[in-house]
Amino acid sequence: MLREEELKTFVDGTTRYFEVAAQQPATIGSPYLLEGEPAMQDYTGMINISGKREGVVYFTAPRAMLTVLLMKMQESDFSHESMRDLVGEVANTISGNARRDFGHDFVISVPSVFAGEKPQIAQPSGARAFVIPIHWRSHSAKLVVSLT
Amino acid sequence: MRLSGTDRSRRLLTAGAGIVLAAVMSLVLIIGFRLATEIRASVGTLQRASELETYPSVVSEQLTALRERLDTLEYTGHVHAELAGSVRGFNQDLAALERQPGLDPAAMHAAAALWRSYAGVLTPVLAYDGEPYSDTATTSSLSRSGRVFYARVRRAELFAQTNAAALHRQLATVSASLQARTAAAAARLRLLLSGGVLAVLLLGLAAAYLQLARSRGERAAREAQEQTRDILATVREGFFLLDADYRIGAVWSQALTHLFARQDFAGLSFEELLRDKVPPETLATATKFIKLLWGERAHENLMKSINPLGQLEVSMDNGRGGKETRYLQFDFHRVMGPKGIKHVLCAVGDITSSVLLSRELHEAQENAHSQLDMMVGMLHSDPLQIGAFLDSASAGLKHINAILKEPARNHAEFSKKLAGLARELHSLKGEASALNLMSIAQRVHHLEDMVAQFKGRSELTGNDFLPLVLKLDELLAHLRGVREMTLRLSSLKQGTPAPEGTLSTPALRLGTNGPEEVASTLHSLARKLAQDHGKDFKLTLNGLADCPRAYLPTVKDCLIQMLRNAAVHGIEADAVRRAGAKSGSGQVRVDFRRVETGYELLFEDDGAGLSPEALKEAAVRRKILSAEQAAQLDNRASLALIFKPGFSTRTEVSMDAGRGAGMDVVAKAVYGLGGKIGVSTNPGRYTRFKIALPTASETAVA
Repeated sequence: MLREEELKTFVDGTTRYFEVAAQQPATIGSPYLLEGEPAMQDYTGMINISGKREGVVYFTAPRAMLTVLLMKMQESDFSHESMRDLVGEVANTISGNARRDFGHDFVISVPSVFAGEKPQIAQPSGARAFVIPIHWRSHSAKLVVSLT
Repeated sequence: MRLSGTDRSRRLLTAGAGIVLAAVMSLVLIIGFRLATEIRASVGTLQRASELETYPSVVSEQLTALRERLDTLEYTGHVHAELAGSVRGFNQDLAALERQPGLDPAAMHAAAALWRSYAGVLTPVLAYDGEPYSDTATTSSLSRSGRVFYARVRRAELFAQTNAAALHRQLATVSASLQARTAAAAARLRLLLSGGVLAVLLLGLAAAYLQLARSRGERAAREAQEQTRDILATVREGFFLLDADYRIGAVWSQALTHLFARQDFAGLSFEELLRDKVPPETLATATKFIKLLWGERAHENLMKSINPLGQLEVSMDNGRGGKETRYLQFDFHRVMGPKGIKHVLCAVGDITSSVLLSRELHEAQENAHSQLDMMVGMLHSDPLQIGAFLDSASAGLKHINAILKEPARNHAEFSKKLAGLARELHSLKGEASALNLMSIAQRVHHLEDMVAQFKGRSELTGNDFLPLVLKLDELLAHLRGVREMTLRLSSLKQGTPAPEGTLSTPALRLGTNGPEEVASTLHSLARKLAQDHGKDFKLTLNGLADCPRAYLPTVKDCLIQMLRNAAVHGIEADAVRRAGAKSGSGQVRVDFRRVETGYELLFEDDGAGLSPEALKEAAVRRKILSAEQAAQLDNRASLALIFKPGFSTRTEVSMDAGRGAGMDVVAKAVYGLGGKIGVSTNPGRYTRFKIALPTASETAVA
């Protein structure tokens, strides 16, 4: 069973990115368990985890949110590639936070990025996915953690 | 300590040998100096005595020479002067010799006496100062005084010739005694020097031995220090000494650097060691305890028993910029000195692995116990009922998840979820308890606790809900396990193995729950409640078979809640009932019947009834009403308080009552079906609930 500290590590990694990159912290909404198909938005950054725990963690956000985030970061390039890079960076920050807290217990893959297409998610059997809404300004993204 | 004592003894012995050597040398030198002085004086005296020995013959020869000159009428002046010089010299030397100590007194006395007898004949000779010759033109002859002088010389010559040998002998005796004395002093000096040399040799040997022993001791001490260093570098526990200022001493074991991720310990205070690693209140407790350790009157074993640092949770840097939780065990021993407590020896061990292992073991045991309890509960329950419950529980949890899924960004939106969550959880717990599935009931109870804590918070965020959703996941996993076990038990009863991971048993899959199952559940719950609360009552159910299927789940939920209320609040203990002239066994009666307007459900217990005053007091205590508002309520309005959310007359929360989510749930369920609920009571006699449900087609309601 996933522990609260582990879940918090991923949540903190995500909210920290907004705080550092946009100097405006994100808040988390009401967490719930995912039922049915993964709720993907426009852009998704994902890391695969193996070792002590097996599964995936991904951050999925709408284009509008990423555009505003890029603007806050003084970027002028709002291309498809920039959006992909941005969710990749968020996934990378989540990964760094997890490495810091869990060390070698967790083997974390390099982030993979999806845009529009339905990603191949290797959801572990017997593990439920926790969905944590990430609110930033008027936008909402989702952090999904599914680990055995 | 033993080594240190030996070393000190050796140092003392070496110092003692040095002092003795210096004393002996000083003594030898002082005595030797005195002996040398004595010998030098004796040698001088001996020289003088030897010289004196020559005087008798010299004086005798000088007298003879003087007489022969007188015979030959030669000049006598110079011989006379030489004689006078000899006599004067003899007198002076003799007087000087007489003053010397340690001479042979008899010989000296005899020599002096004999010499003094010379004076009688020598003095007249020496006293002569006339002209011994008288000259004529042709010859010279002795003058008259010359003749007298001649006679005196002749007499002295004869005296000297007679006594010279005796005087010489006496003086020789004096010389011999002096010689013997000098030889004795020289012998003593030789002896002293030999003794001194011997003593120096012996002491030198002793010093060499002690030096050797000291070297050995130092080598042993060095080896001991090296061993201590090796032990301190190798031992896995952290060891250090605390002084009276609660500061760490100069020596500590290497393990401390790993345990506390720092290098500088000498002089560090115990408080500084733990600061930033434990919460402030823990730090304050630890500091207080350390101070107590220095109290002479506090018994060490007692102190050990109250050691708050036996399993200390510390937050440490994990070396990757993050933090990790570790568990340290501190053990303290007083080091006593002659003046009381000298130091406190502190031993620290990292017990993280054993704490985590013990926790896992405990959890495994808890799981095993709860699974066993669950199995026992399931064996006593109808699989159909359990299947229906599991379906109902899944639906309930789905609803809970749906409540959680409702977007929320602020406190008000998060708070809005709490009432719905509490209702669903309470209902689920009631059903689990009714089926005696305590492992589920306890898990739901824990979730209820979390929701109840949220209610008291002034600010709620999504972070607060993270543990809740984790517990929800855990509960779902547990329900899966229960479902699997139910299948297996069911298969065992039927004698056919259930396919792995399927829910193929029709009864379980459908989860139908007929009036008989509801009745069975209620009777089972009544027995359990009676046992748990030490109450004796009988449940009578009438007309449940007339209950439409669509109403049955709600009716069951309502009856479960009312039955729990009756068992906890209504039916009195045996003694109370007897005192109130009631029958020993309580009665709880349920009547379901069709009426003109639809259906009517009556629930009545012959217990303590409801006291409007007690209800008002509880409402004020729970801050549902102010005291002023409560005072204005009539009896009817007071009784209606029981349907308010959060209302309970219990001050403590238990598995069956106290949350205030009971009749609220019942009322909401009844209103959900378009029904009404009312309550009447006679304090001390009964409580009666009347639920009116509308007529409705089963399909429409379903």
